[in-house]
Amino acid sequence: MELLINSGIISSNWDSIIAICIGIAFGFVLESSGFSSSRKMAGVFYGYDFAVLKVFFTAAVVAVIGIYYLDYLGYVNVGELYIHPTYIWGAIIGGAIMGIGFVAGGFCPGTSLCGVAIGKLDAWVYVLGILIGIFIFSELYTFIEPIYTGYYLGNVTLIDSFDWNPYWTIFIFSVIAIVAFVVADFVRKKIKKVFY
Amino acid sequence: MVKKRIAKILSFRYVMMAAILVVLAGGLVLLPKYEKSEGIPAEQLLSNIISLERYVSTDQISEKIISQDPSFILIDVRNEKSYNTYTLPNAINIPLKNLLDEKFEAYLNQDQFDILFFSDDNFYADQAWAICNRLEYKNLHVLKGGINKWFTTIINPQKPLENSAAKEFELYTTRKAASMFYGVVYPDQAKIKSVAKKTPRKIITVKKKKKMPTEGGC
Repeated sequence: MELLINSGIISSNWDSIIAICIGIAFGFVLESSGFSSSRKMAGVFYGYDFAVLKVFFTAAVVAVIGIYYLDYLGYVNVGELYIHPTYIWGAIIGGAIMGIGFVAGGFCPGTSLCGVAIGKLDAWVYVLGILIGIFIFSELYTFIEPIYTGYYLGNVTLIDSFDWNPYWTIFIFSVIAIVAFVVADFVRKKIKKVFY
Repeated sequence: MVKKRIAKILSFRYVMMAAILVVLAGGLVLLPKYEKSEGIPAEQLLSNIISLERYVSTDQISEKIISQDPSFILIDVRNEKSYNTYTLPNAINIPLKNLLDEKFEAYLNQDQFDILFFSDDNFYADQAWAICNRLEYKNLHVLKGGINKWFTTIINPQKPLENSAAKEFELYTTRKAASMFYGVVYPDQAKIKSVAKKTPRKIITVKKKKKMPTEGGC
């Protein structure tokens, strides 16, 4: 898609419309695969449903393999892709807060909006919580700012910072993913089934 | 019977998908690696080479210097000695051998100004142009003919023959005027100057009377 936009086949005026279409498709897929249920989402922490783990791991592995094949064949240049900048302590603290919210509420921000759309009450409460959180963050911004904008490491990846061979990294990562799936299935069979 | 067989095969679907994933990932590891060519692709370089914007004539650049156009940087790629002997006004010296030095990168790698390389002819300037092209720097140009052309066209313009076209005479007067801007003095002007020479005034020193200090008084 970015290729089409950059090469001028689709003008940038269409950005918002394309974004809305992709957003609707994403929401539809989330909802139809059951991700708008907080019980399913929280299942990964209690061991009765590993759909979240499987979905995210599979998505990451498939995407990274696909991108590196495209890079190898010369259609995409991995070096030119956008890498999100790393603010190390901001990421760690924010990740911890997000994780606690995930376990407690059973949603991540995207799926909570999905839940809102289909009228789940817990999702409504969750989104209200997000809004309160945003308000508190904004009010405390001057206090938090040094952490929020500090400890900047640049647009780094694991491969760059540890100087790993990307191809071996991907291979090992895929194997880890498959092992994780097998272990997850094993755990799921051991745990008492939960009806939801 | 067929359904049963399909069901039997499908019961292995996760194993098969995992196998495909591993094979694909393993393929990335095992594929023969090749050195990716860095810098701009050959087609792009060719189109830059034949681009009409590559060369700038001495007349164009002279006009820009006179009108104090701030949009370009002149870069002298000759050695320091030649640079100190003579160079274009406001030129920066980046000898070709130091082209890749870190301290000069800020001049070359930007898209705010047009960069104009020049050397004695356009040989070294062209080489600098090609190297910077490979580094994907922008707005690169070369002074056609270099300093030599600069001398024969701007500093010391050839007077056209009497039977030349009016256009050439116009060009000559423009160039002559430009050369005067760069400090060339023509004999006809020099004469005028000598006529206008003023006889030095005799300086007569006048001694000021010393004021008598006021004394006393009522």
